[in-house]
Amino acid sequence: MTVESYLITFVMPIICLSLIFIFLRFLKGPAVVDRVVALDLLITVGVGFIGLFSLIANNAIFLDVAMILALIAFLSTVAFSFYLDKRDKDD
Amino acid sequence: MLKYFLLNLLLTFVWVALTGQLNYTNFAFGLILGFFILWMLTRNSKPQDKEYFYRVPKILVFILNFLYDMLEANLRVAIDVVTPNLHATPGIIKYDIDAKTDFEITMLTNIIALTPGTMVIDIADDKSHIFIHTMYLKDKEKFINRMKERTEKKLLELLR
Amino acid sequence: MTDTFIMVLSTIGAVFILIASIGILRMPDFYTRLSITIKAGTLGIGCILGAAAIHFSEFSITTKVFAIIFFLFITSPVAAFLIARTSYVTGIKLWSGTVMDELKGRYSTPKVSSKESTTSSNKNIE
Repeated sequence: MTVESYLITFVMPIICLSLIFIFLRFLKGPAVVDRVVALDLLITVGVGFIGLFSLIANNAIFLDVAMILALIAFLSTVAFSFYLDKRDKDD
Repeated sequence: MLKYFLLNLLLTFVWVALTGQLNYTNFAFGLILGFFILWMLTRNSKPQDKEYFYRVPKILVFILNFLYDMLEANLRVAIDVVTPNLHATPGIIKYDIDAKTDFEITMLTNIIALTPGTMVIDIADDKSHIFIHTMYLKDKEKFINRMKERTEKKLLELLR
Repeated sequence: MTDTFIMVLSTIGAVFILIASIGILRMPDFYTRLSITIKAGTLGIGCILGAAAIHFSEFSITTKVFAIIFFLFITSPVAAFLIARTSYVTGIKLWSGTVMDELKGRYSTPKVSSKESTTSSNKNIE
C-alpha cells in the first residue's frame, strides 16, 4: 500500500469527521464566544488539511497557503474578543 | 553571552560554506562543532565568559522536559475525552508569580497555556499574581508547588 | 522505512485532531472546551506538518514547515488568553462541577474594574 492511498483511505476521513464535529459545535454553540472558538479551530484544522493535501498531491506549493492561513488565523479571534469586550462596556 | 552566540553562528556558516551542502543535518553538525571548538578555546577565561556554555544544555533540557509534560497532559485529557464518564474537576486558582518583566510574564503565560488542562484567564493590574484555570484540581497547595518547581523556577533561571 | 514513519506520524496527528473535535462537542462548559481544543489541535497539526516535511525532505520546505509550527505555537496561546478573559468579563457561566473560583467578585461589577477605558469611550460617544 502506498502512502497516498493510505492517507486517502484512513487519515483524510478522520480529519473530515472532526471538521464535521467542529461545525456542529459552530451551529449549536449557546454563546457567541463558543462560535468564535469553533471558527478558530476550523481554521487551524484547515491548515492541517492543506498540509495533508499537499502530501497527497505531492506538490509543495500548497504549503504557502497553509503558512499564510496560520499567520492570520488568530486575527479573527483577537478582533472578535476586542469587539465583544467593547460591546459589553458600552451598553 | 551574545558574543559567543554570534561567534558560534559565524563558525557554523563557515562550516556550511566550506562543505557546500545546505541542509539541516549539515547545519546542525556545524553548530555542534562550533560550540565545542569555542568551548575548548575559552577554557582558561573568566567564569562569566563561560556562562553561554552552561546555558545552552539547560535550554535543551528545559525544552525536552516541556515536550514530555505536554505529551503526558495531552494523553490524560485524551483518555478523559474518549471514555464516557467525565472526571474533570475544574477550578480557577490565584497564583503568585515571581516573574517581573513583561517578557518573562509572556513566556510563562505561553508555557502554561500550551500544556493542556491549564490556561491563564486573567493577569492582575500590578502584575503580582495571575489566575489559572485548571481542569484537574485535587489539592491547591500541591498544584501551586508543582507549578513553581517544575515550570516557573526553571524558566526564570534560563531567562535571567 | 520513511513511508512507515510518515504513516504513523500523520495518523497520530489526525487522532489528536479528532480528540480535540470530540472534546469541543461534549465538554460541559466554555472554559474546559477552550482548554482542550486549542492545544490538542496545535499538537495534531504539528505532527501532520512534520510528516509533510519528512516526505518532501528539502531545505526550503522544512523551513516553511518550521515557520508554520512556530506561528501556530506563538499565536494560539495569545488568542486563547484573549477570548478566555473576554468571556469571563462578559459573564459566561462556569460549569456546575467547578471546585473553586478565586476570580469571583473581580468582575461582578464590570464598570469598576475598567473605569478609565469606560470613561474615555463614553467621552467619545458624547
